[in-house]
Amino acid sequence: MYDKSVRRRRAVLVLLVALSLLLLTAYFGEASGGRLHQVQRGFLTVIAPIQDGANKALKPVRDLFGWFGDTLHAKSQLSASLKQTDKLRHELIADQAEKRTYKQLLALFHLDQLGIGSYHPVTATVIAKTPNIWYSTVTIDKGESAGVHVNDPVINGEGLVGKIVATAPDGAQVDLITDSTMGVSARIGTSTATGIVQPKVGEPNDLLLQYLPANTTPSVGEYVVTSGTVASPDNSLYPPGILIGQVTSVNEESAYKSVNVHPIANLHNLDIVQVLTSAAGSRASSLSGAVISLPSGQTPSAGASASEQLASTGAGG
Amino acid sequence: MRGSLPLRIALLACAVVLFQIGVVSEVPVFGVSVDLSPLLVAFVGLLCGSTVGAVSGFAVGLLVDLALLQTLGLTSLVFTLIGFWCGRLREARDPQAALAPLLVGAVASAVALVGYSLMEFMLGVDAPVSLDLLRQIILGVIVNTIVALPMWALVRRVLEGALPEDPRRRRRRRAYTTGGLSPLSRA
Repeated sequence: MYDKSVRRRRAVLVLLVALSLLLLTAYFGEASGGRLHQVQRGFLTVIAPIQDGANKALKPVRDLFGWFGDTLHAKSQLSASLKQTDKLRHELIADQAEKRTYKQLLALFHLDQLGIGSYHPVTATVIAKTPNIWYSTVTIDKGESAGVHVNDPVINGEGLVGKIVATAPDGAQVDLITDSTMGVSARIGTSTATGIVQPKVGEPNDLLLQYLPANTTPSVGEYVVTSGTVASPDNSLYPPGILIGQVTSVNEESAYKSVNVHPIANLHNLDIVQVLTSAAGSRASSLSGAVISLPSGQTPSAGASASEQLASTGAGG
Repeated sequence: MRGSLPLRIALLACAVVLFQIGVVSEVPVFGVSVDLSPLLVAFVGLLCGSTVGAVSGFAVGLLVDLALLQTLGLTSLVFTLIGFWCGRLREARDPQAALAPLLVGAVASAVALVGYSLMEFMLGVDAPVSLDLLRQIILGVIVNTIVALPMWALVRRVLEGALPEDPRRRRRRRAYTTGGLSPLSRA
């Protein structure tokens, strides 16, 4: 009984394997138009509608499985996209910073073409700003070791920024032109009449060009530039022709004319500046020394007329 | 009751193959598709014995080859061997462990994937033997193993009422219920 069962089992296996091999051989050996191929195509013809129906009926199931798969795929894609976005954001920030730095350096380079180079400019980076809305003081990363001294003018690619008020070996503090202690000798456009630019009382982001002669005819939109003279003995000597701002309105209520000036340099967004160190022996340094050594009666404390009497630099005359 | 077994197997095979072609094949998991047909053949063999397993394997393989326009006889040959081997496993060992279907499913899937690949190579299919192919086979075995237990539950549920009675299992069950002390069993 047992042997019979085993023999039958083996016989079935051998038969099925032989049948499979026979099918395989016949199918593999015949042409694509052969009988087995035709049977296969016939079977497909019969089963195709069933498959189609099943396909439509099972579509929700497939969609459900697909939804899970898509969700997992989307999650992995989201993670990768977030990483990529983060990377690109960092790159963009770095690029923007580089672009800003490049623009500022380019502007400084153009400034150098105007003769600033003779003032031994030291390029510095702003490393700190006063945390109030006025931004009247900034700290730079260059100090005495780089030849920076108190009262050295500070400029950027846009125009005059301020002056050095305190120095350390590797840093210095800059008072911006909007600081209440500042006073810069300036003139309007190509006019020879000079005045003093100071912060406007109550509007620290605006400037006031005061003590202009009465016969001056300033107009709105004109540019205000440094005159190249000092406003007081302890002031720095700003090189002539450095842009300070633009005339926004003219006041004629007093004997002297004054104009409102909006600073050109964006003092809220300072990154790179140049300190005109006026190194010993340079033209600017010697002129500055000459002005300081003038008799006290000729200091600009008497106003604009006095400031006009001050020595001007050869370039800014 | 036993007469309905071929019918149940046939219906189950048709349903599984249609579901495989219509749904499962179109839902990749880890980049591969679950293949339910070797699991079906293996579990039919594990439940019904070697002869039924081999015949079921041949039939399911033929159905797959016909439906998918594959080389006729190829899947039949592989599935016949799988069905027979699983049936012999039941007849010789009768594994009762809960995870036995998992192991059987994994081995059946591996045999199906490797056997099919070998047969294709022997028939001269121009495909490179690469790590990618190995990765596909391994992933295929893994995803098939994941669905092995639900598939086992389904096959057993469908065939439950029509399964042939195994004399050895019947003896074992009697020994459990009587504590092995029945004078009839000792006789």
